Amino acid sequence: MRRLFDRVFCGNDEMYAKAEAALAEAVAKYGADHVMKMPDTAYNCAIILQYTGIKVETLGDLQKAMEAIKNDWMPRKQSTQAIFFSGFATAMAAQVIEACKYVENPAPYGTGDDRQYWGHMTDAEVRELGVPLVTEDIPGFVVLIGPAPSDEEARDTIKGYQSRGIFVFLIGGIIDQARRMNITMDFKVRVVPVGPEIWHAAHIVDLVMRAAMIFGNVQPLDYWAMNTYTLERIRAFINAYKPVPDIVVGAGACCIALGFPVVTNDHEDVHVVPKSLVIYDNTQDWIDASLEARDIKIKVTTMDIPIAFNTAFEGEVIRAKQMKFDAYGATQDCFELVQMKDASEIEDHKITVIGPDFDTVTEENKRSFQLAYIAEVCGKTMQSDFESVFERKFHSWINCLEGVMHTGQREQIRVRVSNAAFDAGLRAKHIGEVLYAKLKNEYDTVIDKVQVTVITDPETITKLKNEVAMPAYHKRDARLATLTDESVDVFYTCTMCQSFSPSHVCIVTPERLGLCGAVSWLDAKATNQLNPNGPCQIVSKEGCVDETVGIWPDVNRAVNQYSQGHLEKVTLYSLFQDPMTSCGCFECICGMEPASMGVVIVDRSYPGSTPLGMSFAELASMTGGGQQTPGFMGHGKQFIGSKKFMRAEGGLARIVWMPSALKAEVADSLNAAAKDLYGIENYVDMICDETIAGSADDLDKMIEFLNEKNHPVLGLEPFDM
Amino acid sequence: MSEVFQTTTVEQMEADTARLYENAVKVGMDVWQDRVKNQTPHCGFGEKGICCRICSMGPCRISPKAPKGICGANAATIAGRNYLRMAAGGASAHSDHGRECVWKMYDATADGYYHVTDEKKLYKLAAEWGVETEGRDLYEVAHEVAEMGLNEYGKINGFQKWTQRATEERQKVWNEQGIMPRAVDREVVTAMHMTHMGCTADAEALVRQALRTGLADGWGGSMAGTEFTDILYGTPMPKETEGNLGVLDKEMVNIVCHGHDPAVSEMIVTFSETKEMQDLARANGAKGINIVGLCCTANEIAMRHGVKMAGNFLQQENVLLTGVVEAICVDVQCIFPNIGPLSECFHTKFYTTSPIARIPYSTYLPLTSENAGEVAKEIITAACNNFKNRDESKIFIPDHKHKASVGYSCEGIKGQLDTVTNSHFDVLDTYQPLIDCVTSGVLRGAVAMVGCNNPKVRPDWSHIEIMKKLIANDVVIVATGCAAQAASKAGLLDKRSKVLCGEGLRRVCTLADIPPVLHMGSCVDISRMMLLVCGIAKDWGIETTQLPVLGCAPEWMSEKAVSIANYVVATGIDVYLGIDPLVGGSDQMMDLITNGTTEWVGAGYHINTDPDQLVEDMLNAIEAKRDALGI
Repeated sequence: MRRLFDRVFCGNDEMYAKAEAALAEAVAKYGADHVMKMPDTAYNCAIILQYTGIKVETLGDLQKAMEAIKNDWMPRKQSTQAIFFSGFATAMAAQVIEACKYVENPAPYGTGDDRQYWGHMTDAEVRELGVPLVTEDIPGFVVLIGPAPSDEEARDTIKGYQSRGIFVFLIGGIIDQARRMNITMDFKVRVVPVGPEIWHAAHIVDLVMRAAMIFGNVQPLDYWAMNTYTLERIRAFINAYKPVPDIVVGAGACCIALGFPVVTNDHEDVHVVPKSLVIYDNTQDWIDASLEARDIKIKVTTMDIPIAFNTAFEGEVIRAKQMKFDAYGATQDCFELVQMKDASEIEDHKITVIGPDFDTVTEENKRSFQLAYIAEVCGKTMQSDFESVFERKFHSWINCLEGVMHTGQREQIRVRVSNAAFDAGLRAKHIGEVLYAKLKNEYDTVIDKVQVTVITDPETITKLKNEVAMPAYHKRDARLATLTDESVDVFYTCTMCQSFSPSHVCIVTPERLGLCGAVSWLDAKATNQLNPNGPCQIVSKEGCVDETVGIWPDVNRAVNQYSQGHLEKVTLYSLFQDPMTSCGCFECICGMEPASMGVVIVDRSYPGSTPLGMSFAELASMTGGGQQTPGFMGHGKQFIGSKKFMRAEGGLARIVWMPSALKAEVADSLNAAAKDLYGIENYVDMICDETIAGSADDLDKMIEFLNEKNHPVLGLEPFDM
Repeated sequence: MSEVFQTTTVEQMEADTARLYENAVKVGMDVWQDRVKNQTPHCGFGEKGICCRICSMGPCRISPKAPKGICGANAATIAGRNYLRMAAGGASAHSDHGRECVWKMYDATADGYYHVTDEKKLYKLAAEWGVETEGRDLYEVAHEVAEMGLNEYGKINGFQKWTQRATEERQKVWNEQGIMPRAVDREVVTAMHMTHMGCTADAEALVRQALRTGLADGWGGSMAGTEFTDILYGTPMPKETEGNLGVLDKEMVNIVCHGHDPAVSEMIVTFSETKEMQDLARANGAKGINIVGLCCTANEIAMRHGVKMAGNFLQQENVLLTGVVEAICVDVQCIFPNIGPLSECFHTKFYTTSPIARIPYSTYLPLTSENAGEVAKEIITAACNNFKNRDESKIFIPDHKHKASVGYSCEGIKGQLDTVTNSHFDVLDTYQPLIDCVTSGVLRGAVAMVGCNNPKVRPDWSHIEIMKKLIANDVVIVATGCAAQAASKAGLLDKRSKVLCGEGLRRVCTLADIPPVLHMGSCVDISRMMLLVCGIAKDWGIETTQLPVLGCAPEWMSEKAVSIANYVVATGIDVYLGIDPLVGGSDQMMDLITNGTTEWVGAGYHINTDPDQLVEDMLNAIEAKRDALGI
């Protein structure tokens, strides 16, 4: 039997030789000075960056990296460190092979519907993972290296992981198997066909490196910080179907070094290492065995429904031709509502359906079908403020049903049900079952009893909408309008992200929601109620030091305590003086623009560049991981419409540039706030966007635009940096 | 985010000792450092093992001009007899300690001071020995098993029962080599008789009897100590405690338990927790009662109750020199007679409790199964009332201490290994995960670090440096006795010390949630190590001699260590010694204990007084064993 360590060394040598050949070819074709840049990332070739410290900008830098790999990362002795190093060397060599392809073409695997393989993943995609990882909606990642023993087994395994919320990466022949079994593959549905060869695994390792850098503030060259972060915080693992050749063993050493166990059914020259390299012949039982090997426990909510319920289906799109019906609040009366009631008024788990069920839908009325649902809840610590908190979760829960799509909220909801879901037996009462189960499960310390009414009868819907739902919404809006930072007694911390970003603390106020966009002040309040020792702790507002800049002694105490001393103080309303830190999963990044003395705001979904010459990814890399970077700050979209937004530096009048889509999204609230503050009508129109200035080269155009519009920033003092 | 972890260095420990020495000077009492100076240089004939004082014709000393004693005994005979007598002395100490433990079980009752704690282990042993348990009272079973245990010491026929726990191959070797141990007492008596004037002159026969006497200890007397102690007081499982002098607490009544047999210390721990005693401590102005252990008594009560460990053998005078010890209570073995006069220089009360260890300047309270609680209460009461008698001018407590994870019995180790198994395909309660780590190469092997402190080398330095080098090379360590205490003082029992390991061991420590040095108990608990190596060999399907596992006693000093070394070698594990085995005056004897035993039982001694070289030799030996296995 060959020694495991020798196999790693052979696999490493093999990958290195391939990388040498690929790089030699690229250099021969383009020259060593040719630019080498992976798309939409501020951490170019992150594996190489992490382990060698080389910031790759040209093909010549890749040559330097190859030297460093050879000299420092390929020791040949019988020690675990030597195989771990060789594993990293293998991953870096794989990265070189892949990087050479992106030199030829920024999209070597195609784009849009023609994207054959996923290849490189963008920083925005990495950041999207932040929130679901924190909430454990994604409990882990699996890399399937195949082919599986049969197409059917490949499908069952992929679907099995997907149904448990596990993010699935596919490498090798299993991708073709998935295609043959018509499995939808996309980053959004969390099944990603990375590429056909083992060196495509470099894209996954690269994603892991960036996650650690973005969320954990791991610095390049900090070997132990990286390896500890991945081992302790990134719940990834590998399933490698036989045969597993040396080159895969070499790559596997990298995974094991990072703490990701490998499960295989190959016995040939494979040595078992507990919880790290596991041999298990029963491939059909790999899912549960693998989850156990990586200590992943899946939260299960049992509910009596005929279709799958999982966060992996949240991003699923139901096209018109697949749909059984489309209930759309914009064209008919539809709504969803949570109402607090007295315990005596509620019979727990009572599901009532009023009106015809889904099986009455015909081809003719499928676009005019109406749907509404009301969840009535009670509990000793329930407060009416929490109604909207729970109600907002409906979007995500209904979406998690396989074959059901939900958008919008309140009376603007749209619910599409697919034929497949209907055929599987989905009926109106099941909507009630899902809401019941999730409300009881997620808010068990607040909610004692729940009853749900699902209504499809048009008359009843209209009546209830007008008499019950709309008044409730209006009452809530009135309450929300009074919720300002001044009107409440306390703020809250949010440290939900600390499992990934250990030194970051958000301070959540009514006007400044968590930077991920997912935690409002009411959410934080409810979370505190649910778990008084949990991530949302009360921060008192006593002894305000400076109301304009937003300095409170207890805010400083809280960030100090909950960042474990990492942070000393933060202000709530300043971009320059002790700005609030970011975990990495922020919705938007705002960065100062020196020519105009304004700020540029970019959201995660905008892929292009900005007048700063930096994309979202590059701007985002300036901060994150709990670091304070004056002049750069992550925040939620809602904060853009707040009068507290960088109030210390002049507030909203500083915003000079936003992507047009973001402008449209925040227009109402931003215009309203600007009118109140400055008496300016349609302020959003004064803000530049990519249609006028889309890169650093267009800086003059932006200044020209601002002058032309007489943007208020022109009247402000320069930043006091 | 990288973890910061600092060990306590030997230099820091020496600085603490130097500071405490000032207290010794202040009170005008000598300590071991002074006495080492007075005794140096040592007698060269004694050091080489060639001084014979077995009869009154001598003493005879062997030199080139006097190559034979008066009776004609040559260097090999004299060194061999002295060597065997050391082994016999050690075997009797361990075994008699074990016998006392069996007696406690023989006396145990449901409502007495001593009772059965680990019923499961009792029933397992009863089944092993064919004792009927069905429908019988627990104590009836306990008493019958105890009687059989006592019988092992003087049985007329047959061999030590527990030798059947060894691998088949070992049992075969012991039978073939004529070293299968008979009754414990008989092997010791045989050794004494063989070495009497005019008996065995053949060095080989003496070395063989040393192996046999050692086996009677390791697979007999010591194993009785371990097994019956576990049944009486509970089988140790992993738990957290602290180690080094910093565990003494200025605000509390400090009671030090020192020695080996936990019969007294168990009672002191139990009764110190009663409200009556706690109230008494507070009434005397203390915040409570702080029990700390010294030497192997510390190991015993730390691994069962998490009692803090003040230190090892050469720390015993230091403990008193802190000036905060209200009482020191001892049982048997490794107690400096100087504790008596030293305690007189402080307010410290000194209690002896065993007829085996009678020491001047102590209060003697002989412990029996009937009076154990009363003795404990008397000691604690006296200690509490003594709190106010401290002399503030003599107080100094070094602040060094470390967290320590202790209690890795075989059961505890298997329990931790179970945590890395997978319920889908692994079986529980085996050493397989450890074997997998070794065969894959993630761990290179294992070393059992054992033995004493010895001022012939820099105390603790050899233990700590060797352990650090081994763990840095992915060799996992099991440790007992003063070696385990050295690790505790340095911080190597702290799980965070995994940062000092090679990446393989570091990962194993993380996944199995263990420190790199596993504390297996006191010196009688080296019997656990024998069960461990045989268990691993059985689960692996190879012989003990093939395992990449070694023993190491870098600072050994007592006769017990000689007995231990003999049974470890006889069990097929090479032993690396950092102190010469006192037979250097005879080339033949040196050859017998290195090459001779290797020929008979497949293992022998490897001696190097330079710890750096010793550890290199060990690493090379481990790799050689791996190569031989093709792993």
